[in-house]
Amino acid sequence: MDMTSPQAAGAAQTDIAVEITGLDKWYGSFHVLKDIGLSVRAGEQVVICGPSGSGKSTLIRCINQLEQHERGRIMVNSREVGPKVRDMHEIRRDVGMVFQHFNLFPHLTVLRNCTLALTRARGMARREAEAVARHYLERVRIPEKADKYPSQLSGGQQQRVAIARALCMNPKVMLFDEPTSALDPEMIKEVLEVMTRLAEDGMTMLCVTHEMGFARKVADRIVFMDGGCIVEEAPPATFFDAPKTDRARLFLSQIL
Amino acid sequence: MSFLAILAGIFEGFGVTATITFYGMLYAVPFALVFGILQHFTAGPARVVVTSIIEFWRSSPVIILLFVFYYSLPSFGITLSGITVGAMALGLNIGGYGSQSVRAALQALDPGQVEAGRALGLRRLQILALIELPQAFKAMTPTFINQFIQLIKGTALVSLITLTDMTFRAKEISQLQYNPVGTYTALLVAYFLVCYPATIFGRWVEKRVSIEGRGQRDL
Repeated sequence: MDMTSPQAAGAAQTDIAVEITGLDKWYGSFHVLKDIGLSVRAGEQVVICGPSGSGKSTLIRCINQLEQHERGRIMVNSREVGPKVRDMHEIRRDVGMVFQHFNLFPHLTVLRNCTLALTRARGMARREAEAVARHYLERVRIPEKADKYPSQLSGGQQQRVAIARALCMNPKVMLFDEPTSALDPEMIKEVLEVMTRLAEDGMTMLCVTHEMGFARKVADRIVFMDGGCIVEEAPPATFFDAPKTDRARLFLSQIL
Repeated sequence: MSFLAILAGIFEGFGVTATITFYGMLYAVPFALVFGILQHFTAGPARVVVTSIIEFWRSSPVIILLFVFYYSLPSFGITLSGITVGAMALGLNIGGYGSQSVRAALQALDPGQVEAGRALGLRRLQILALIELPQAFKAMTPTFINQFIQLIKGTALVSLITLTDMTFRAKEISQLQYNPVGTYTALLVAYFLVCYPATIFGRWVEKRVSIEGRGQRDL
C-alpha cells in the first residue's frame, strides 16, 4: 500500500516535518504550555500521552494554529506558523487533522465531505476530486458509504471517513487529537487498524491518544506530558518498561 | 352588501398588501443575513455599531418608524413614497428580528465544524458559505417563516400612512356601509386567507430543508 508515496518525496527535501522550540501558551493567566521543544522527523510516528489537562491537545492544535501560541517558534514543513502568518490556510492544507468528535460536515455526503476542500481549497475538478476521495474511502475500507450522510454511519465509520477526508489533501503531516476517545470500545479497533496501516506506510503522525497498545506497537517515540511540560520523551520500549520519571511511572500504573 | 361582496372589496387592497410584503422581504432578508453574520464575526467597537443598527430597527415600534419616515422626513427635504416607507420600516424591523435568528443559528453550530474547515485549509469566508450557512439555514427556516407571516400581518399598519391596503379598504367599506362588525370580520377572514397558505408553504419548505440536511450529528 502506498498511501504515502508523495510523502517520501517530501522527506527527501527536508528531514524535519515539525520543529517546535521554546513554545509557551497561556489561557488567560493559566500557563498551559511551558517552554515546549519537540522535533518530529518526516516519516516518524510520535504518540503524545499524559493526564488530562496536561496540554497535549493544545500542543498539537498549535501545530496547525487552531490554537495560537504566545511565545516560541513552530516550523511545519519548513514554514513558520503563527498568529501573524497570513497564508495559514495554505500551510494547513499540508497538515491533516483528525478530531475526537470527527467533525464531519453533517449536511454533506461522505463523498462531498472528502472532496470539499479538494475542489474549493485546491481548485481540483469535481470529477478528479471524487476519484481521489473514492481512493481514500477504499483505503479506510468504506467505499460503499460514499453517498451516505455522516449521521447514517456508526462512530467508527465516521472517524474513518474523517481520516479519509484528511488524507485526500495529501498531507505531509497528520495530527490525531484523541481519535478514539469518543468511540464505543468495539469501534476503536477499526479506527486503530486504519491508523496503524497509515503509520506502516510511513505517514508522519502526531497522535494524542490513550491507546497504549497502539502507542507501543506503532510509535517511534512517546512524548509524555504533564502540567504543560514535556516530562519524558523515549522510544516505547523504554517508556513503558523503564520510565525514568516518577510522574510517568505513576501515570502508567494508573492507565495500564 | 353581502359578506362576500365586502370580502371582494377588501381584496381590492390585496395588491398593496402583497407589494409591501414583497418589498419588505427585499429589505428584511438581506438585512437579516448581513447583520446576523456581521454580529457573528465582529467584536469590540465594530460589534457595538452593528448591534446598535440592529437594535434601532428591532426595538422601535413600527408605527412610529412609519410616522417618522413618512411625515417627518419631508420637513428635512427627504420625501419617500408610502410604499418605500412601509416596506423599509416593516422590512428592517422584521429583518432586525431575523438577524438574531441568523446569529443564533450560526453561534449554535458546533465550533468543531469551523475547526474542521480551517484544518482542511479553507478560507474563513469559504467556511461560512460552505459549512456554516448551509447548516444554519436549516435552524433558521422555521423562524424566518414565522417572521414572514408577521410581516404580512404587519402590513396592516401601512393603512395609517395613506396606502390603500386591505385594512385601509376595510376602513373605507365600514364607513360607507355602517357595518363595522361584518367588515372587520371579513378583514380577519381576508388576512387568514392570505396567511394560512403562507403557513402551509412554510411547512413544506421546512420539510424539504430537513430532508436535504438529513445529516444531524449523532455521536
